Amino acid sequence: MSEPTSPADSHGPITRVGAPSSTVAHDHDSGHDDHGDDHGSHGGIGQYLAVFAALCLLTTMSFLTYSSVWPWRDQPHVGWAFMMAVSCTKAMLVVLFFMHVLWEANWKFVLTIPAAMMAIFLALMLVPDVGLRNRMVSQERLLHMARPNDLLLMEQAAEAQVLADPVAH
Amino acid sequence: MNASAHSIPHGHDDRDAHGHDDHGGGHGHIVLQYQPGLPLSKGKLIMWLFLSTEIMFFAALLGSYVVLRFGAAVWPKPHHVHLSEPIGAFNTFVLICSSVTIVLALEAAKANKVAMAKNWMLATLLLGSLFLGIKGYEYSAKFSHGIYPAQPHSRIYEKPDLYYGSAVRARLDELRKVPLGLVPAGLRDEADSSAEAGGTVDLLKRLDEAPAEKLSAEQQTARGRFQKVQKMLTNPGQQPFDLAVVADQIMPLPSEGAGSHGGHASGLNDDFPWLRLPTVIPGGNMWASTYFLLTGFHAIHVAVGLLVFAILLTYRLDRKRAGMIENAGLYWHFVDLVWIFLFPLLYLF
Repeated sequence: MSEPTSPADSHGPITRVGAPSSTVAHDHDSGHDDHGDDHGSHGGIGQYLAVFAALCLLTTMSFLTYSSVWPWRDQPHVGWAFMMAVSCTKAMLVVLFFMHVLWEANWKFVLTIPAAMMAIFLALMLVPDVGLRNRMVSQERLLHMARPNDLLLMEQAAEAQVLADPVAH
Repeated sequence: MNASAHSIPHGHDDRDAHGHDDHGGGHGHIVLQYQPGLPLSKGKLIMWLFLSTEIMFFAALLGSYVVLRFGAAVWPKPHHVHLSEPIGAFNTFVLICSSVTIVLALEAAKANKVAMAKNWMLATLLLGSLFLGIKGYEYSAKFSHGIYPAQPHSRIYEKPDLYYGSAVRARLDELRKVPLGLVPAGLRDEADSSAEAGGTVDLLKRLDEAPAEKLSAEQQTARGRFQKVQKMLTNPGQQPFDLAVVADQIMPLPSEGAGSHGGHASGLNDDFPWLRLPTVIPGGNMWASTYFLLTGFHAIHVAVGLLVFAILLTYRLDRKRAGMIENAGLYWHFVDLVWIFLFPLLYLF
């Protein structure tokens, strides 16, 4: 049972099966970390710089949706989905490499998965009362809240001013 | 505590331990071995527990933002609220750089390169400060446009309705009684210098009557706008469209086409900042509340991180401090992570 311990040091226990032996392996692992004795198996300046380059590239990609090069300017949903995909990729890169989660033992799931589930539930709980708040509104509220035709009115006013006085605008 | 874990002899697995228990007293003494509950140091465990609460904290904030935004009838475009995408993207870049420098500081400390670790730590501190500085600049741009989360500082109105019209009139009435000291240089005359300070003056009348040669070309255009606003506000046959024109003269909402090159159409509030007239941004109040809450809490987290780095800089950053640097780094990466989601959600959606 102790044979797989030494390869676990270098690759991390992610693919390991069998709880008792992996516990021993982690003790061994963290013991090394405390002494600051890095094998160079994880991290490494080159790898960090590669992740940095990827992060910069991804930021540029999400910024692309703002530029005139982006072909789906009239369909905002395409841009939103794209940006969220890019953000999730960036988040995974930061968590896995910079926060060393890739090389951590299985405790990482104990902490992150319940927190992530709670986070999702927190947001979902808001949908009925907050997200759908404008499904049914009182007449008075309807009078005072901003509505799409207010924006339209502002745009028409701006256009009328441009037509009347092109120099001022 | 991990040293005791090391004292387990190799090959001493669960079956052996079980065997010992069965023949309990046979050896005459029991060797107690302490094993930590989780295979990581206490500081790191606590940091990760803290981070898991932080995940929920920011998920609640981001979740409410998303729910509020997509449930709203109208939400302002980034240009309506004077957000600059290039500035936001640059700030993202700054935070990513600082994430790299803190990781490099940790690596240097692990390799016992004390001076290098200190330099990387200092670079992180400076980059974080740069982020906060840019954020402060952005905040001041919001404030100067009257975008605050709440009254009385906020000058945002949701729609060009009668309430908006009366708010503009109220502000104009206020401006008629401006203390003498606040009169802008272009509108002063010789008599003012002899008059006692603190007196009030009909500023708007002066703006109307100011000689054209004292005003620049832009200011003369602005005065034209001002006179149009006054005329439309007092028009007895006023239509909702007229109030939209008033709002457009005071602070125009940049259209998407013009906004793509960052164009900022100027209005009365830009020409004469002392006017501070109410503005119309449909959906702007909810936007301001969520924007300042999200970026404010993020900025507080950045500030706390900078404080931690400043404290760490007073230590000798050698191998013994690697654990501390790692924990501070974990926190900092999390702050970076939050911004990774905040940037597209606030600036690009």
